[in-house]
Amino acid sequence: MSSVRPPRVAEQLTVDELVRYGPLGRAQMLVGEDLTRRVSRVALVSELDQIRSHGPGTVVVLSGALGHGAWMVESALRLAWERSASCLVSPAETGPTPATAQLAARMRLPVFAVGEDTSAYALELAAAVASPEAARARLAARCAELFAERSSARGILGVINGEVPGVSAALLLPDGHVLAGQAAAARAEHQVRVEVPGPDGRRWADLVAGLAAPPAPTWAESVRLILRLARAPLTTSVARERVNAVYGAEQARTALTALLARPGRGAAAEPVLDLPGWRTEGRHVAVFLRTDPALEGAGLSPGVVSAWQEVLPDLPLAPWRDGWASWWTEPEVEPGQVAAALRRHLARMRVPVPLSAGVGRAADGGEGLRASLEQAVLAAGATVRLGHGEVRTFDELGYRALLGTLGQAELAAAARLVLAGLLAAPDGPVLVVTLAAVLDCGGSTGRAAARLGLHRNTVLGRVERIRGRGVDFDHPDQRLALHLACYALLPELAGGQTGGQTGGQAGRE
Amino acid sequence: MSERLITSADVPALLAGAEFFSTSAAGEGIDFAGVWLGDILDHAGPVRLVAAGDLDPGTVCAAVGAMGSTTAMAELPPSGDEPAVLASALAGRCGPLGAVLPLNAASVNALFPVAAAALLELPLIDCDGMGRVFPLIHQTTFELAGLPLAPMAAVSAGFDALLLETGSARAERLARVVAQSAGGWLLCALYPTRVGRLAGAAIPGSVSRVLEVGRVLLAHAPGRPAGAGPVTLAGGRWQGDAAVAPHERLLAGLAAVTGASVLGGGRLVEVGPSVRQAAALFPGNPVGLAVHDHDSGRLIRIEAHNELILALSDGSLAAAVPDLVCLLDRGTLRMTGPGRLTAGDQVDVLVVPAAPLWHTIPGLALGGPGAFGFPLRHPKEAAG
Repeated sequence: MSSVRPPRVAEQLTVDELVRYGPLGRAQMLVGEDLTRRVSRVALVSELDQIRSHGPGTVVVLSGALGHGAWMVESALRLAWERSASCLVSPAETGPTPATAQLAARMRLPVFAVGEDTSAYALELAAAVASPEAARARLAARCAELFAERSSARGILGVINGEVPGVSAALLLPDGHVLAGQAAAARAEHQVRVEVPGPDGRRWADLVAGLAAPPAPTWAESVRLILRLARAPLTTSVARERVNAVYGAEQARTALTALLARPGRGAAAEPVLDLPGWRTEGRHVAVFLRTDPALEGAGLSPGVVSAWQEVLPDLPLAPWRDGWASWWTEPEVEPGQVAAALRRHLARMRVPVPLSAGVGRAADGGEGLRASLEQAVLAAGATVRLGHGEVRTFDELGYRALLGTLGQAELAAAARLVLAGLLAAPDGPVLVVTLAAVLDCGGSTGRAAARLGLHRNTVLGRVERIRGRGVDFDHPDQRLALHLACYALLPELAGGQTGGQTGGQAGRE
Repeated sequence: MSERLITSADVPALLAGAEFFSTSAAGEGIDFAGVWLGDILDHAGPVRLVAAGDLDPGTVCAAVGAMGSTTAMAELPPSGDEPAVLASALAGRCGPLGAVLPLNAASVNALFPVAAAALLELPLIDCDGMGRVFPLIHQTTFELAGLPLAPMAAVSAGFDALLLETGSARAERLARVVAQSAGGWLLCALYPTRVGRLAGAAIPGSVSRVLEVGRVLLAHAPGRPAGAGPVTLAGGRWQGDAAVAPHERLLAGLAAVTGASVLGGGRLVEVGPSVRQAAALFPGNPVGLAVHDHDSGRLIRIEAHNELILALSDGSLAAAVPDLVCLLDRGTLRMTGPGRLTAGDQVDVLVVPAAPLWHTIPGLALGGPGAFGFPLRHPKEAAG
């Protein structure tokens, strides 16, 4: 029998704490009732009668020599209960049974079974009970050691979730988005939370530990310590991921540029692409992502690439021209399917900038991929004006895809000049939208009215006012330029013009 | 004068009582002995059941009992000639037998001495040396009283005859080896003595008690009209009281004739081999049972090793050998044991106090929990 003098009351561990970061964590918990009992000492008993000599707060550990079966465990349980012991630890082979567990639950006494030598186990327990701080420090040290071995945020969160019993941890962005770990942590009623700085030293995310029950102050402090230990490795992992993303993006850009710089060559002459997820053989449907041209593209790449990898980890994404290129490679793949999938994924992606996408036609081999990508780029040129999350296929846009390639800023500036007269009218923007619709409909005011959702007379009235401003769209040599000028202005009019929905709809069709 | 006759009509009651006192394990599969005994009584006539005091104190007597496996006995039953072999073997050492008594009036050993008395045309003394079943032949009150076990005569199913002259513990070991080699069982005559020395060395009234308990059990057997109470409840305490379950009526009847108490009853939640390290001396395998008591919610844990050895109630020792722990199957209203039970069965746990001789310090040393390898003090010992 071994026993340890009780430490000062304030420092006594509870059974709960011994489970969470003490040796009891290794034991099989048969009954987890009333784990808040304080532990004052550990007693290893090799005879039942020895239990009678121990007072409240004792962890009663049954010696392996007591291998007499379930009846013995139940007898010990009864004696331990009568003496307000903290819990009972039995050798697993001695055979606590489900009925034993029922009895323990009835007595609300925690019972554990251990598969190892209970003598050594009792010593370890006694050491933990004698020195609560040491037990906490050991857990923290173990976590710190494991943190150092993990390179990803996922891995570091895994250490906390795996090693710290009763705790679910998650890494949350300030807006509540779960970057890694268990979402349950974010919803937990009882939390311990520390801020995690980004590579720039400013708050980047929160590391949150969710606890099932209100933690004892000492336990909350232990969890906080472990979370703080995880902060630096997390920051490092973020920095590493960003560097990796930039490096990977540049690699991909180079590879894609090499692939596309050889138009007309056969597949055999193409450079070998060995980046993960890259396939040039088979049937492809290319995708091109774009953001608002006003936003600077290159600096955004790490954010876009990592957001893409989060939802589509198996597909490549390479920064290319003024956007990002990717492609689906499947034997039966169709652009419509790709567009639908992409819409769903864009909605889920947490990107730093608004993204819209164009989808090319399906085509085979490296040559086909080139063509499909060019089509996707054209389509994306049109969708970028439509806003975040918009996806259009090349076929869907038809010839309008061509308009997407026009230099938007220059053309719009010129359009504002050539249509200055029209825009100067009180309802200038409305007139431009109407003019675009009439031109779209080959001069038919009836069809234009239907398209704009207006009465034909309204359109006729507007056409009169347009003509009154000196705009003659009957001249064949003027019509193309007028039409282009209207298209150049439509996006900005769609954003702020007072023509309401009609203009907006016209711009989106 | 307490002489009574045991006839073949008494065999069913004897069999049922024998099953009860076998403490739920050794009573299994002893029906063959009932048939066999019935035939003998029909042919040889009834047996006189007498109190020791009714006989001449100088009468030579010996305890008769079988040792070994009841399964082996059922497969290789006695022929009926065995008692004569025993009697002649002992006659050479102690003189002619004038009476026989059961080694233990329980299980098959409640029947064999009756057969022996009938075949040898001797009276059967209404006493025994255990009052229940113990696994070892020297776990007897005779032993406590200092009666020598030897000379011991034994005969096997193959008529191998043996006369052992040795100490009690060695006799057990040697005879068990012979029993195994000779077909699984031996019929023995042992503790030969004079009737006058039985006073204070034997448990009086054992055979009568077996018969009485047997009659109670038969009276409550399924198929009997409800309310047909046992003879001891002739006042009709349960008569017409349909609200009382049949098993409760039976329990009341058994309690009345044996002084038994009901420890609890309910669903058997666990039955299976026990990991307890059994003493090598005891044949059989340790088994553990757990019964969930319906009324109190308590858990009754029973440890068995052929016989039910001890019962814990919520981890606290409630009953132990030498007292009898018995299980009643509520469904069949028969005594039952681990071999016939599966989890989910409804059982009642009865505790029948052993004869006072067993509750002495030497008695508990020979037949208490410690003798079965349990480091526990018997409840009486603990209380004392």
